Formats: sequence, structure tokens, C-alpha cells
Amino acid sequence: MNKILIVEDDRLLCKELADLLEGSGYAVERIRDFSDACAEMVASDADLILLDISLPGENGEVLLQKYRKTKDTPVIMLTSRTGELDQVLSMSYGADDYVTKPYNPTILLLRISAILKRTSKTVQKQMYKDIEVSLVKGSLVRGNEEQVLTKNEMIIFGVLFDHQGEIVSRDELMTALWDSDEYINDNALSVNISRLRNKLSELGVPDAIETRKKQGYLLRGI
Amino acid sequence: MTLRGFIRDRIVGYVIKIMALAMIFVFMTAFKAHVQAIAAVTIVLVLADISFEIWEYCRKKNFYNRVKRSLDDIDKKYLISEMVEHPGFYEGDILVEILSESNKSMAENVAKYRRKSKEFREYIEMWVHEAKLPLATMRLMCHNNSDIENKMAVQLGRIDDYIENVLYYARSENAERDYVIKEVSLKKTFGNVAVKNRETLQMIDAVIETDGLDISVMTDGKWLEFILGQLMANSIKYYSPERQLIISVRAEKTDDRITVYFRDNGIGIDEADIPKVFEKSFTGQNGRKDLKSTGMGLYIVKNLCDRLEHGISIESVKDEYTEVKLVFKKNDFYRM
Repeated sequence: MNKILIVEDDRLLCKELADLLEGSGYAVERIRDFSDACAEMVASDADLILLDISLPGENGEVLLQKYRKTKDTPVIMLTSRTGELDQVLSMSYGADDYVTKPYNPTILLLRISAILKRTSKTVQKQMYKDIEVSLVKGSLVRGNEEQVLTKNEMIIFGVLFDHQGEIVSRDELMTALWDSDEYINDNALSVNISRLRNKLSELGVPDAIETRKKQGYLLRGI
Repeated sequence: MTLRGFIRDRIVGYVIKIMALAMIFVFMTAFKAHVQAIAAVTIVLVLADISFEIWEYCRKKNFYNRVKRSLDDIDKKYLISEMVEHPGFYEGDILVEILSESNKSMAENVAKYRRKSKEFREYIEMWVHEAKLPLATMRLMCHNNSDIENKMAVQLGRIDDYIENVLYYARSENAERDYVIKEVSLKKTFGNVAVKNRETLQMIDAVIETDGLDISVMTDGKWLEFILGQLMANSIKYYSPERQLIISVRAEKTDDRITVYFRDNGIGIDEADIPKVFEKSFTGQNGRKDLKSTGMGLYIVKNLCDRLEHGISIESVKDEYTEVKLVFKKNDFYRM
């Protein structure tokens, strides 16, 4: 389980963020005392840090600069500042991403999982049951059989695959698609899912994707 | 300064002088002065007066004409006190002194207002950041209690848009250069706008088409996002209920510029209204139907475009389409 450190001084926002992350299967750690936030950040063994810019004492940009001297854990800056300059500065100090408040929670989760995937040290072969999932090639392989997925199908499968055994709402799937510049509508989503189902059944798993009425879809766990 | 005006101004003096001459003539005749003596005195006096008048006219004309000429030459007329040279005569000195006094006082006044407007702007910026914090918290609360998520999230999105409007209005009205020009991906920027409006777009079942957005333009990313967001908001606000809304965004690259066409098939704009759409508080025919119009959106957009030196123009046929054209000049200077 990946661990995320939240560095945010607004209590309520911090709590809601923690709820969101815990609900998505991350372990959460918070900083409560900001007198020496940098030391606490360095001491933490988190896999990713969410760092607010406006903090009591030293601001997030300064913290990030200091932190980068000792560790290179991925950092996502959270901020309500909306200037280009803040973003350019943060990135130059070594932030991996920059998200402005009020953020869309689904997108924040997508960004987090994208960065964690990028930085996870062991790139193990991803398997769904006995099917090899190649996100790079955009295909599913089982033995000699290969099914090539379209970009949309791959995005949908990727999200379901990351949340195996959990319900993923249509809304979350839509957000993921739109976030990848695929501006499809409701009908197209249904079409894509049924095509994905067909391809999966060609590979011998006809009922991998379950429909939960009014809730969304679920990729059956292994 | 004209000769006529000069003479008219001094006519009383001339009359007095002529009367004085006449009296001198009367007295000298009474004292039985010689005719030649009378003539000599008269000629001397008249010559002296005329040469004095010519000298007076010349130096004044010289000074005032120079002042007028420099006044015509400069576009900021209030700077005239910096431009006048030393007049070399008493009245001129007074004028120069008055001008520079009044200029100084005006400069102080302007500085006061500039400071006030800067303070106000800084406050707005700070306020916007403060307001976004509870907004972010509420957004997360909605998500964590999924039963109210969607409807609430849309409303929160609207509040966020209104807050952004205030921020960019304050920014666009300010003379300071607070943007950063760098290479910005059109695709990513438009993507952010689309995702932000996804709920609303899906609610009205709109179609989005993009073409050629795989290029970068030189601009401030955040400002461009706001501009595209405003155009998107307008397309959503003024869509035609008779047909499915299609928003198509297309970029075209030529040697010296990149043009972005943002087109929708909404209700369009009345031909008479088109020249005025970028004016402040202009709402036009469409605005009168929809009371939510404030006439600020496109005004702010135009202001931001002017400051970033992007071209913007609008084309529309009523009940058919509206197309906004953004022109980004390719400037190699920025690339250095």
C-alpha cells in the first residue's frame, strides 16, 4: 500500500483530503506541527507528498527547495494561487506536478496514481488473471492471443484495473477519459465498454466487467 | 499667438498713448513750441512705442508658440510643464510656475490612486486565494459524500468561475506586467478547460471536436486557460436548444502565426451587436433574454488578449454559429 504525506495547515481540508485518499486505498500521514516541517518531511517514509504552498512559517516553495537537497520523493504542489509564475517556480524547484484549488478530486487521484506508477521502482509485469496487460503497447495478451485496445478502451481498462474489485463510477471513467483529451459522451462510453467486454471475452474472460446499476462498473478481482 | 489677438489685447494702451500724444501736442502748441520740435518729439515717441511693441510681440509670440507646438507634439498633455523652456519674461515665469505646481499636485494625486488601486488589487488576489480554500474543502466533502456530489459540484464550479472572473478582471485592469510568457501546449490548456466543464457539457449532451491542437503557442498558460474558459462558458450559456451543441476548436499554423478558431453552433450574435461585444458591460440582444449576462466576460478576455498582444475577433451568423478567432504571433524573440 502506498503512503501519502499531506502537508496542509487547514485542518478541515486536510481531513477531507485524508478521507479521500484513504477511501482510494492509500495510507495517509499528516504533519501537525509546522515549526520544523522540513525535518518531518525528511523523516517520513511516504511514497508521495502533497504539499500546500501557503503554510505557516516557511512556505511550500522554500520547503520543497530544502527537501530536494536530501530526498527525491515525488511531490505534488497544491495551491490556491493561480499565477503562471508560481507554477513555473514550483516546477523549477523540483515539484512533479502542480494542482490548483479547488481541484477535481477524481483528477487529483488520477495525477497521484500516474506519478506513483511512473516512479515505482520495480516495473513488474502487470497481470490480470492470466492476461498480460501492456499499457505501453495498449494491448492484452493471453498466450498467443493478442487483443489490441483503442486508446479509449485502454484508459477505461486501466482505471478499472487499478481499482480491481471496487466499483468505479461512470463519472470517474469519464473524468479519466476527458483528462486524456478524449471528449466522448455518455453513449460513446457505453459503446466503448461493450467493445472492451467483447475483447475480454475473446480472451476467455467474458464476465470480467460487471455492471452495477446506478453505481458504475467493477472489474472482478483475481 | 496672432498679431490680431495681441493688438486687440493692448488696444486700451494704444488709445491712452494716442490721447497722451494729443495732449502733448496741445500743450506744446500752447507753450508756443516750434513746429519742428513738436514733430521731432512726436516722431521719437511714436518710433519708441512701435519698436517696444514689436519687441514685446516677438518675444511673447516666440515663447507661446513654442509652448503650443510642444503641446501639440506630445500625447500626454499633462506633461507640458516638463517641456516648457525658460520664458525670459515675468508673466511667462508665473505661468511656468503655476504649471509645474499644478502638475506636481496632479502627480501626487495620481500616485495616491495608483497606490489605492494596487492595494485593492492585492487584497482581491489575497481574498481569491482565501475563498478558494473553503471551496476546495467543499469540493472534497461532496466527493466523500457521493450522494450529493454531482449537483453540488456543478454549483461549486460556478462559484469558482465567478471568483476567477473577479481575479482576472483585477489583473486585466492593472498596468503591471504580471504574466509569464512561455511555450504553452494548446492541447493541455484546452483539456483543462474541457475537464472543468465536463459535468455541464454532459448534462446538455454537447459534442466537442478538436483539430490540430498538438502545438504550442507563446502565451501565459493561466491567462489562456481563463480566456478559453470564458469562450466555453459563452458557448454553453448561449447554446441553441433546437440542436445538439457542437463546440469545435481548431488550430492553424502558418509561417508567422498560429490561429485558433473556437466555434459553436449556438444562437449566434445579432449582426448589429457584433462590433460592441468586447465593450464593458455590453449585453446586447442575447443578454436581454438571459438575465445572467453581465457583459464582463468578453471585455475581460479582450483586455487580457490586448495585454498579451494576441489578436481576437469574433464572427457570427444569428441562429447559426459564433466563431472566435485568436491569433498568436510567432515571436522568435520570446524563444531566446
